[in-house]
Amino acid sequence: MTHDLLDAKSAGAFGSLPGRRSVGIADARRVAMVLIWIVAALVGSARVALAQGGGDGETLFTQKCTACHTIGGGNLVGPDLAGVVDRRDPAWLSQWIAQPDKVLAAGDPIATQMLAEFNNVPMPNLALTEAEVSAIITYLANPGGAVTAPVVAMGVGDAAHGRALFTGASRLANGGPPCMSCHSIAGLGALGGGALGPDLTFAYNTYGGDAGVATFLNTMPTVTMNAVWARQPLTPAEQDDLRAFLQEASVQQRPPQALWQLTALSVLGTLLFMGAGHLYWRSRLGSVRKTMVQRARI
Amino acid sequence: MDIRAQVSMVFHLDKCIGCHTCSIACKNIWTDRKGAEYMWWNNVETKPGTGYPTAWEDQDKYKGGWEQQNGKGSDIRLKLHSRLGGLGNIFFNPYLPTVDDYYEPWTYDYDHLFSAPEGDDQPTARAISLITGKPMEIEAGPNWDDDYGGSPVYAENDPNLGALTEEEREQLTEMERVVFFYLPRICNHCLNPGCVGACPAGAVYKRGEDGIVLLSQEKCRAWRMCVSGCPYKKTYFNWSTGKSEKCILCYPRLESGQAPACFHSCVGRIRYLGVLLYDADRLKEAASAPAEQLVHEHRSLIQNPHHPLVIEAAKANGISEAMIQAAQHSPVYKFVKQWKLALPLHAEFRTLPMLFYVPPMLPVLAKIKDGVYDNADAASAQLGPLLSSLEQARMPIRYMASLFSAGNVDVVEDSYRKMIAVRIYMRAKMVGDVSEEEVQQALQAGGTTAEEVEAIVHLTARPTFEERFVVPPLAREVAIEQTLDPFTQKREGGFGFRRAPARGA
Repeated sequence: MTHDLLDAKSAGAFGSLPGRRSVGIADARRVAMVLIWIVAALVGSARVALAQGGGDGETLFTQKCTACHTIGGGNLVGPDLAGVVDRRDPAWLSQWIAQPDKVLAAGDPIATQMLAEFNNVPMPNLALTEAEVSAIITYLANPGGAVTAPVVAMGVGDAAHGRALFTGASRLANGGPPCMSCHSIAGLGALGGGALGPDLTFAYNTYGGDAGVATFLNTMPTVTMNAVWARQPLTPAEQDDLRAFLQEASVQQRPPQALWQLTALSVLGTLLFMGAGHLYWRSRLGSVRKTMVQRARI
Repeated sequence: MDIRAQVSMVFHLDKCIGCHTCSIACKNIWTDRKGAEYMWWNNVETKPGTGYPTAWEDQDKYKGGWEQQNGKGSDIRLKLHSRLGGLGNIFFNPYLPTVDDYYEPWTYDYDHLFSAPEGDDQPTARAISLITGKPMEIEAGPNWDDDYGGSPVYAENDPNLGALTEEEREQLTEMERVVFFYLPRICNHCLNPGCVGACPAGAVYKRGEDGIVLLSQEKCRAWRMCVSGCPYKKTYFNWSTGKSEKCILCYPRLESGQAPACFHSCVGRIRYLGVLLYDADRLKEAASAPAEQLVHEHRSLIQNPHHPLVIEAAKANGISEAMIQAAQHSPVYKFVKQWKLALPLHAEFRTLPMLFYVPPMLPVLAKIKDGVYDNADAASAQLGPLLSSLEQARMPIRYMASLFSAGNVDVVEDSYRKMIAVRIYMRAKMVGDVSEEEVQQALQAGGTTAEEVEAIVHLTARPTFEERFVVPPLAREVAIEQTLDPFTQKREGGFGFRRAPARGA
């Protein structure tokens, strides 16, 4: 694709050549175009080579998939992928891995059922190339042993500091943006956090507890997160703190009677306000005439 | 000098007999519609009394008109609210009269008189509410306190009685001394209207060529601020169309050269209509004057239509030759400016009303003595048995001052002295039992001359129809031609709404 684009560009440049007034400039342009073309071609082929050579499905799997999946290690955020190649139709599988969001949006029955099964956490589009997808499928067909979630070195985090990092009260060491700019967590400030990313109140549970969250924070596998965090990763200590905070946030669930308490309080508050308003404005729109008549009767 | 024309009015209260013919004429033409049943664009009240709607003069309750700002120079502001306060209260205007303060309109179940089954008793027609459609108890009407009806409730609560002493108040309702008069009211078509100032939608406006205050049925958004803003309570909310309405001074009649219906039908011929030329540059100054000078300032706005400079300025403002001529023949100019007899109602509301009242002299006090109507005790020997004097005025002057001159007794007294001079002069002329010396004294006290008195008598007692109503050619077609094709207007204007009004925007 890159080639086509550049080809079209250079062709355009040459095509307009006869119209140029200065041959010198045209020559220089031609040389520049050829150079760009060559460089682009080199980069493009290098990329293809990388994808093919990185046919190293195992590496890709470790980088991109283990945050949510195991092979023979049981379900994590997503299903255990042991024997998945045998279970699923190959065409479906490759399309799913390449563009899970589109498959889901199309209302695929298998995908829909899995979504419900796995806490409504949709599989993110990881922007894998065709070659990468086939490399992963090749790897999945013959993984050569069980792959459980990679053990990320986990320390004991400080939830309070994690909260500070989340809200931006403390800066992240590598300069990443505070989580709150895109994510919200229940009970965090009057207005909550950003709404660009998903609400993270129950993320700790839906992403498979300590192991899952730790892997996620370490690898940041989704496209959006990766784009932000690849250049300015979280330090291990920050990961621990944030994980501790997410755990704390998910544990603070509302007891069932709280809903009734809140309702009762709201009703009581409304009545109080209405009563106060009625007292304050009780003479509003009072009839002048009736008051006069009543006064005269006394 | 910014000269503008204003169609203005004078009501001569001594001639009003309280027959309500004006109210009926207006009702039949304009407010005999659904949602307008309770409206009386013209109503007649008994004074002392609380009027319609009840206690409309009490601006502590209704917040109508304008008031001087404390410590802010002579600037006046709406009594109702500031701009910001108005915005805050826009969904919540607390200063409105209730339906009960007007009255719940009703009709009678006439059909029952014909369709009732045969029985021992005569069938009756019960009162049916025009709002709910259900039988109702009638508790009040638009002239409920007419002729002191229910005076312990209504007349007692007249806000103007605050100006009197306890003794004077008691005298007012004393047996055989009882005194009252009638006060017919329509929209005053003010120069500084409170309704225009209060309307958030800009629906109320003063017509350029004649100063008639109108309320656009297309622009009205039912905020009802005009109802509160008008201190005379002469804008009304139509609960059916969801728009406010008010007296239009019968402009369709005026435009065709006729006097408004209430003027035309007036039995006592108390009403005069004519054009006044006024100086709009001095409006703010006049409206902001101290209370005791308000009437004087109001009069000073009105310009002499014979003065060449005024005529020149009027023409420069596009006022037509015919309009200027009408102003020169205006009976209102004579009563208000030339003779200084007519006074504005409640000048302290600072709206500069353009309906003026000649205060009533009221009948001379008399008592039944040995079965004979005898007024010998009451009337001063000096003035003869049929003439009253200012000092013996049956209605205390301070009451009249509260109504007509923002409390300035001198202004009302000047008006009364001149009228007393007229009576004495005419008594001498017609009956001849008053000495020439007394006549001259009275003329001097009244600040008038025999010539002026003759003119006053003519316009008061023997005016022709054309002298009472000097309706100017309004030339509406000229006034609208900049924005509208007069022929389109001729075709589409007229009775009813050009577009059916509907609730909401």
